Amino acid sequence: MTERTQFRVRDFDCPTCASTVERVLRRADGVEHVAVHYTTGRVEIEYDPAVADPADFESAIESQGYTPQVT
Amino acid sequence: MTVREYYRKHRTAVVTATSGLLYAGGWSLGYATGYDTASALVLVFAAVIGGYDVAKHAYYELRSWTIGIKTLVTLAAVGAVAIGEYWEAAAVVFLFSLGSYLEGRTMRKTRTALQELLELTPATALVRRDGNDVEVPAREVEEGETVIVKPGAKIPVDGEVVAGESAVNQAPVTGESVPVHKTAGDDVFAGTVNREGALDVVATGTGSDTTLQRIIRRVEAAQEAQSPTEQFIDRFARYYTPAIVLLAVGAFVVTRDVLMALTLLVIGCPGALVIGPPVSVVSAIGNAARNGVLMKGGEHLERAGRIDLVAFDKTGTLTKGETTVASVQGFECDAEKTLRLAGIAEKKSEHHLADAILDAAREADVPESVAAHGAPVVGSARVPDPDDFEVLAGKGVVARYDGREIAVGNRALLDERAVAVPEPVAASVREHEEAGETAVHVVRDGTVVGVIALRDELRETAPRVVRALRDAGVRTVMLTGDNERTARAVAERVGIDDYRAELLPEDKQAAIEAFREEGSVVAMVGDGINDAPSLATADVGIAMGAAGTDTAIETADMALMADDLERIPDAVGLSKATRRNVLQNVGIAVLTVTVLLAGVLTSNVHLAGGMLVHEGSVLLVILNGMRLRRW
Repeated sequence: MTERTQFRVRDFDCPTCASTVERVLRRADGVEHVAVHYTTGRVEIEYDPAVADPADFESAIESQGYTPQVT
Repeated sequence: MTVREYYRKHRTAVVTATSGLLYAGGWSLGYATGYDTASALVLVFAAVIGGYDVAKHAYYELRSWTIGIKTLVTLAAVGAVAIGEYWEAAAVVFLFSLGSYLEGRTMRKTRTALQELLELTPATALVRRDGNDVEVPAREVEEGETVIVKPGAKIPVDGEVVAGESAVNQAPVTGESVPVHKTAGDDVFAGTVNREGALDVVATGTGSDTTLQRIIRRVEAAQEAQSPTEQFIDRFARYYTPAIVLLAVGAFVVTRDVLMALTLLVIGCPGALVIGPPVSVVSAIGNAARNGVLMKGGEHLERAGRIDLVAFDKTGTLTKGETTVASVQGFECDAEKTLRLAGIAEKKSEHHLADAILDAAREADVPESVAAHGAPVVGSARVPDPDDFEVLAGKGVVARYDGREIAVGNRALLDERAVAVPEPVAASVREHEEAGETAVHVVRDGTVVGVIALRDELRETAPRVVRALRDAGVRTVMLTGDNERTARAVAERVGIDDYRAELLPEDKQAAIEAFREEGSVVAMVGDGINDAPSLATADVGIAMGAAGTDTAIETADMALMADDLERIPDAVGLSKATRRNVLQNVGIAVLTVTVLLAGVLTSNVHLAGGMLVHEGSVLLVILNGMRLRRW
């Protein structure tokens, strides 16, 4: 079972910042696929709901100093 | 707004400005009095204020085992303070904060452009439930419910008009600047604006399942898809960054100059190179979307920038695709009888010419009793069914009625059935074809009894579009299944450079293939369904009328939301401008990095100056890319 969720981050200020967030998310438990798009600020995550907690994704983004918005 | 709220909202700006002021103060102090302790303190203070957020992000980066630009800048600032270069420390931090602030601000503008489109859809809808009009959140409207749209209001759902009459401004969805007249039976889109009349609309798509939402998802996916240039730069950056680190280490080993090594690390980052091309592409795709052109991604945009030949399908693209009977001429019987015979023969045919003939036959067929009493004729179905009927693909139809054989078709059909064509008939057909019409023969029992000429009106914009493309140095070709003479006449009227006639669908595809083999970069304009193979074969497939259908954009690389040909020269121009813009940005970035690296290695450029130029180049490419938003 895979579920998808997406966030929007409006305050990325450099491409490497976006790829850092991508790396951090990829390491989270139960995450199967992550794409962080610097140009649109969109964060796409595919995860296994049995293992991962979507709330952790938000705190992972916040841990890098950015503000995720749920859309 | 309280001071606290203001500070929270504009924190970065306030911090950057404070750091800048302190920096200027510290510098003036040092300039007036020499670098004394007071000046140094102010400068360190400036570095701490401006650098606090940067250092915080650096800490986050390190905590997740990555070294990013913020770690490098923090390192450089701390290093500069450690060796007593307070001025450099304050300057590098201030310039970096300023650069990031401006970069974040401009990128946010690009990111929210699409969100603004979303906000076009009203939050609530007036729905008729159990005879009452109730206001509900727009996303809770169910399919099939009737929504009331008042004059001046935005339409909250996709749907079909069932009552009322009005003009609707569809610019947000189709890019058309002129309002479109809507009455019962017409489709309307969520996010468009109703003008003077009230409309009752039965919802067909609500919430995230509306045309506007689909467009936004498409556009976003397109903006995220990397163009070949972006992919190349990403791969390049993967080697480049470690190479800069090695260079910095090497420089330190050779010169023992900490500041130089740090400077290399900080300004060697490929900032402008990585940011420039995506900003150009995103701005251009956003611009196109606002003007009713969907681009599937940067790759297609880059290819479209090299187009030098545009092939147009004729029917429905250069013409309106609404074939009507232009004239009927009887030879062995009168015109009315000719039309009636043709109507009977074509009744069961599904060809688009058949529809036009049948419509004309029904209109002309006024039952005598009704005509005598002057009663209105309402869609009489008095054209009888044929007893027998056969389609001969590419030639015409043959039917039997009342013991007689009726054939309707082109010259090939007559030749096949060995029907003699008298000279007056041939002359009449020639005349119609030279006028750009399609002529069919009506044959009864082996004798030509009449000729029916059919016309498909040109789009008024077609000649202008062809001219605009030619002015831009692009060759134009028309592809059609029509006969040579009709094709030539239409081509002349449109002013198109070249045409290919009598093509079957697979021949169109072969024609595109041939143009490509000649070395042309070919765009094909057609409708997404019938012309799908040719659209797929062309370097850039451009589908017409994509609003409402998802299939068009599936097969094409670019789609026109409205059937507005005039968007094509604009889209080609925008693509060319984008290509130039991407090259300019790559040029600016490469030039800056080369000059800076050379400057640093020869000790002509120091930390602060290097940072100034580096951040300046990043901002320059962003601003250059954003020009495409207003192209």
